[in-house]
Amino acid sequence: MIVTEPHQIQKIMEAYPAEQRYALAILQDIQNACNYLPEESLALVSGRIGVPVAQLYSLATFYKALSLTPKGKHIIKVCDGTACHMCGSSSLLISLKQVLGVEEGELTADGQFSYECVNCVGSCALAPVMVINANYYAKVNTEKLVAILEKYQPGGEFDE
Amino acid sequence: MIIKIDGKECTCESGEFLIDIAKRNDIFVPTLCSMKPVLLDRGCCRVCVVELTENSRSKIVVSCIYPVERECEVFTQSEKAVRERGMVLALLKLLAPDAKLITQMAKAYHAPELERLEPRADGGSCILCGRCVDACNLLGTSAIAAMNRGVTKEINTAFGAPATTCIGCTSCAQVCPTDAISFEETDSTRTIWNQSFELAHCEICGEILGTAASLKHAANITGDEPSSLCPKHERRNSAKSLASIYRR
Repeated sequence: MIVTEPHQIQKIMEAYPAEQRYALAILQDIQNACNYLPEESLALVSGRIGVPVAQLYSLATFYKALSLTPKGKHIIKVCDGTACHMCGSSSLLISLKQVLGVEEGELTADGQFSYECVNCVGSCALAPVMVINANYYAKVNTEKLVAILEKYQPGGEFDE
Repeated sequence: MIIKIDGKECTCESGEFLIDIAKRNDIFVPTLCSMKPVLLDRGCCRVCVVELTENSRSKIVVSCIYPVERECEVFTQSEKAVRERGMVLALLKLLAPDAKLITQMAKAYHAPELERLEPRADGGSCILCGRCVDACNLLGTSAIAAMNRGVTKEINTAFGAPATTCIGCTSCAQVCPTDAISFEETDSTRTIWNQSFELAHCEICGEILGTAASLKHAANITGDEPSSLCPKHERRNSAKSLASIYRR
């Protein structure tokens, strides 16, 4: 379930002592709960642990794991390491754009997916590799892609 | 402990930073990030590199963050030091192509022309040393920080929006070694970091005292009322009141 209400964010923050060193842990938990860091959440975190908003924003823009724009319920990562690049990860990205109808990093209209291009995921023998949540898909092509995405659609096998 | 810098014998304590010893002994080492007023942040411009010889081994060290612990000999103008410094400045020139100071230093310290690299496309004078961020943090306002990473890294306010904590004091602009932080000032307002601030003037002569927000910030810390007079008239006023006390 996706939460964005201030009292829900409050609850996430209360799991940690109000100390500056927990900034990153709190931001990660908010990211997991909301799928992104809402603008208001940074002010709430700042108010609780005393880290200035500018510094929290700095963290949020530095780490790839944190995002200031909403991400999909399922995050698709397309590997663009050397092997995957050679085996056609760029055409996979084009297919994804056609199938989902959004640009890289954007959210689909139903909030179900967002996709991004990442560096080597370390499974070069399986190139081109695609990772959804924590599931790896090997030697993906356009036909396989549609079948895989089907499983993550509402009511699909992996959609919880 | 005695170390030798450019042939001059310099006395120092163990753990002192090399650049401080050199400066105390009137030996000039160019630097951008550890200029006065010295803030917390050092070792990010790498212009102050020097060659250090210890036990007949030579190495290049960044003098502003190198604590001297043993006897050694330092050369600020050796061939190796000059070459390294030139390269650092050549790279800084590509990072901040609009910075006049860096262009001048690159020329003065014989920086090579790096033809295979392009200068930063969006120009600018910022070398990302972070002195402005430190200054803002020291003041307790923390309105700016380094945003993004890698080639897109920049100093800005959160969301690039007006920061509620910014007081428009321009401390950031004053500590910037390359004058990269710009602000506009009219008779009544000052615009910096995406927002406008009202200026406060001396009640008698009309001299600009700073932004109303910065006077309030200072007053909050000292627990006084925000001042409404310039230092000159403040002095004159207190002299007058003292005089009236004694005449009574």
